[in-house]
Amino acid sequence: MATLLQQAFRRKPVGRAAAETDDDGRLVRSLGLFQLTMIGVGATIGTGIFFVLTEAVPVAGPAVIWSFVIAGVVAGLTAVCYAELASAVPVSGSSYSYAYATLGEVVAMGVAACLLLEYGVSSAAVAVGWSQYLNQLLGNLFGFRIPDALSQSPEGGGVLNLPAVVLVALCALLLIRGASESATVNAIMVVIKVAVLVMFVVIGVTGWNSDNFADFAPFGVTGITGAAGIIFFAYIGLDAVSTAGEEVRNPRRTMPVAILLALLTVTVVYVAVALVAVAAQPQAAFEGQEAGLAAILEQVVGASWPGTVLAAGAVISIFSVTLVTIYGQTRILFAIGRDGMLPRFFQRVNARTSTPVNNTVVVAVAVGLLAGLLPINFLAEMTSIGTLVAFLVVSVGVMVLRRTAPDLPRGFRVPGYPVTPILSIAGCLWIIIDLRAITIAVFAIWVAVVLVWYFTYGIRHSRLRPAATDPHEDAR
Amino acid sequence: MTLVVGLPRDERASAAVQLGVMLAASLDEDLVVCTVVPPPWPPGMGRVDAEYQDYLDRGAQEAVERARGLVPAERAAAFVVTRARSTSAGLLQVAQEHRARLLVLGSSTAGALGRVAFGSVADRLLHSSPLPVVLGPRGFRCRPAARVRRVTVAFGATEGSGELVVALAGVAARAGAALRVASFAVRPRTPLTAGIGAHAEDAVAHEWAADAEHAQRAVLEEVARLPQRPSAAGSAVGYGTDWEEAIEEIGWEDGDLLAVGSSTAGPLERVFLGSRSSRIVRHSPVPVVVVPRAATQALAERAERR
Repeated sequence: MATLLQQAFRRKPVGRAAAETDDDGRLVRSLGLFQLTMIGVGATIGTGIFFVLTEAVPVAGPAVIWSFVIAGVVAGLTAVCYAELASAVPVSGSSYSYAYATLGEVVAMGVAACLLLEYGVSSAAVAVGWSQYLNQLLGNLFGFRIPDALSQSPEGGGVLNLPAVVLVALCALLLIRGASESATVNAIMVVIKVAVLVMFVVIGVTGWNSDNFADFAPFGVTGITGAAGIIFFAYIGLDAVSTAGEEVRNPRRTMPVAILLALLTVTVVYVAVALVAVAAQPQAAFEGQEAGLAAILEQVVGASWPGTVLAAGAVISIFSVTLVTIYGQTRILFAIGRDGMLPRFFQRVNARTSTPVNNTVVVAVAVGLLAGLLPINFLAEMTSIGTLVAFLVVSVGVMVLRRTAPDLPRGFRVPGYPVTPILSIAGCLWIIIDLRAITIAVFAIWVAVVLVWYFTYGIRHSRLRPAATDPHEDAR
Repeated sequence: MTLVVGLPRDERASAAVQLGVMLAASLDEDLVVCTVVPPPWPPGMGRVDAEYQDYLDRGAQEAVERARGLVPAERAAAFVVTRARSTSAGLLQVAQEHRARLLVLGSSTAGALGRVAFGSVADRLLHSSPLPVVLGPRGFRCRPAARVRRVTVAFGATEGSGELVVALAGVAARAGAALRVASFAVRPRTPLTAGIGAHAEDAVAHEWAADAEHAQRAVLEEVARLPQRPSAAGSAVGYGTDWEEAIEEIGWEDGDLLAVGSSTAGPLERVFLGSRSSRIVRHSPVPVVVVPRAATQALAERAERR
């Protein structure tokens, strides 16, 4: 009889994981450097930049520019570590799957708790940001705004953020019907997002006022790292490059370059946007500003059209981000369900639509509630902490695996080992400790809840249970 | 009993007739090869229309003569030129007069060679015909002695699908053919921007397929209990990121016939091609039969009798 500890740290055999997902050798390595970079840029830009300044500038002042750089560097380090782990474990999936194969079941469940934040809570945050830009667009085009009661969280003086809830419901409906984001749609979205941000920079720079930099870092380094914690949210998605490894031609060379290029592109765009934004208006103006970028543009130009264009771009592109994020969440839960750690309910696939309908509905209800009732800064911070901890585990995993399986063939190795993973871990910790105490407390409670679930349900239903009867079979 | 072949008056004719001959041989039915010409205008001034009618009639006769050459002598066959306002109405009328059980059509020239493509006539019939419609792929050819050797039933693990399998099992048994129950797990690629790897969607497809296989086994057990069974019975699941890939994956041979059911969105008595079946039909490399729900019921009852 295995001890509890042995059970909790059992690892999913890699062969088994590969057999489940990789049914055919049909998948050809088709991605080159450019496409991979585009995946990184497409997955990253749009999650945060459209609304993160409103939350970050009051924390850091104009020095928020450095927060962007710090968050970017940490995101880059973690993405590089992630890429090694992804290439070492012949499993396809999220950091949950990698943790399960290398660090053990209980760690995988901890990572799963983080991923629920990275995906579930971030889609709620993104939906809230979307509702701000929708309101801006409606106001500019039709002179009509959804009243605060129906477009603000209770903390913001409203009852329910209805547009955010509707967006989540709409995405769920599309996903239930089997929608997916193709490479073409991603490319179009990248163009839209980058185009509106470039437009913001080009037009916004005319409102440059150096006086706004007078009090550059009112809250010192703490303010800068505190803001980096919120801003880290805007870099989520860079890990999409790391997980695409198995489709990449010559990953050893392409992978780090693509991560670097995507990171550079994204950071340059972000810093430019942040620089123009803080130069355009005094820092006090950021607090509580809705649809920030559009509002700044209108102020600079003194007309509504640039704000309208930007808001339209944001409404379209944030929609696709929400769709993909909710999609990711449902498939992660699906994977956990297939491993037996969630009830079978979560892995049922509807015969007619061939999509996991139950799962999607549960995710949509949860995300809809979060998006409807919670303010964006809290959601953004929860997303950041979840992602940071997940990446931290990944970086630790890289070091553990180098020790436990030094001879494992790795498609990609972290350059500058062991400095890179250590820096990555340190960077994550540095940002995490400067987050608000409430965020850290809620995060700890959340992880505890998931672990209680694991030790009461997951550990007994795991498909790795010795001599487990296949839950597949007895359910039928 | 009879089978009506809609005869186009151009190069598509031989594909339709050869398909009709193969089906008639397999099911041991008579053939009625029918071409439809537009009716004359009401008598009026000038009488110029008569000349055009004459031209049409001659064309129709020539087409019929050519078709005659394609039908083996031992097969009982009638050749009909009928006048009707629309080709689909004309074919249905002839089918009714001959109490036909099956309507056979060729593909439109607009499609790819070797794939089923339906033009306006087939489209109309696929949404209104009271009897099953068979559509051949464009450029269909077979030996004069060819027969249906295997019937593949598209099985969706949804209601009504089991009945279609039983119905076609009966048909396959009578034709001395094998039966294959096929399901298609079609899921798009995992978007890489989601950051969850390239295979997340495969897991969904596998889960769906596991359910489908379970249902396939159940329906094959039902087939095994029939009084007259097909020469062999098997199942297949085709995976793909789109329908074409999934349908191709299960492999096809000469002598294959694919059967799809009618949508529950349409009337019971008539063929009504649903969106899903329509995609299957369009990507089929072999002749496809679309069966109305009422006919499915009747065939299934017949298969279960004795």
